Amino acid sequence: MKLKAREVEGIIVLEVKGQMIGGPEAAVLPETIKAEIDKGKKRFVLDLGEVDRMNSTGLGNLIGSLTTIKNAGGELKLANVAEKIQSLLLITKLVTIFESHDTVDKAVRSF
Amino acid sequence: MPLKKVGELVIPSSLDHLSEVDHFAERMVKKLALPKEILDDVAISATEAVNNAILHGNKGNAGKKVTIRFYLCAQYLRLVVRDEGSGFAPESVPDPRQQQNLLKTSGRGLLIMRYLMDRVSFQRRRNGMSIIMDKFCPECHTVQSGGG
Repeated sequence: MKLKAREVEGIIVLEVKGQMIGGPEAAVLPETIKAEIDKGKKRFVLDLGEVDRMNSTGLGNLIGSLTTIKNAGGELKLANVAEKIQSLLLITKLVTIFESHDTVDKAVRSF
Repeated sequence: MPLKKVGELVIPSSLDHLSEVDHFAERMVKKLALPKEILDDVAISATEAVNNAILHGNKGNAGKKVTIRFYLCAQYLRLVVRDEGSGFAPESVPDPRQQQNLLKTSGRGLLIMRYLMDRVSFQRRRNGMSIIMDKFCPECHTVQSGGG
């Protein structure tokens, strides 16, 4: 899993690439979010368009991110959620706790 | 047609090896020329089961191994993940879809394996536990008979 962070109109867009399946590299997401919160950032978009595969550890990573951001008084929105990942969000009922948008632009404009 | 073993990977009980498991599953499905839809379902289920075997079966003991085997017959692809631990009771895993469990960061592996694969069963032995998962596919017949 690779992660790239950029700022768009004060919103941190996190582009995830590869597999969200756990392992040592999974720590990069919570570490990056924590570093941005420490810099005073509170609004995040997680771009999942380049995520090939996600398992329950990856879903756990999303929930951990949401909780960290909410506890800091912020918001997290998902963008570009592929059909397979959307189906996992549906069967786990996590679709009820995440706000998703078709594109990063739409997610950014929704704040 | 009987089940034929088509691949095996043995790893130590460490989450550092999850990418290796994903790559192994991808290699196996591609080698058998099965469709992309099957690849995702099988690869995700493989890492789920191995994660489960490492954390709950072998309790993170790096001295214990996890064995991943693929079998093929004319009707389905079978994935077997075996640990060397004392096992766990699948029926005791709380339903992660309950409101009080929604924000928990773990506990969804079994639900996802049961959703992605067509048949999931457990076999407890004296020296470990196996998760056995079958994915039915029309293409298996062609591959199994040597046409794939």
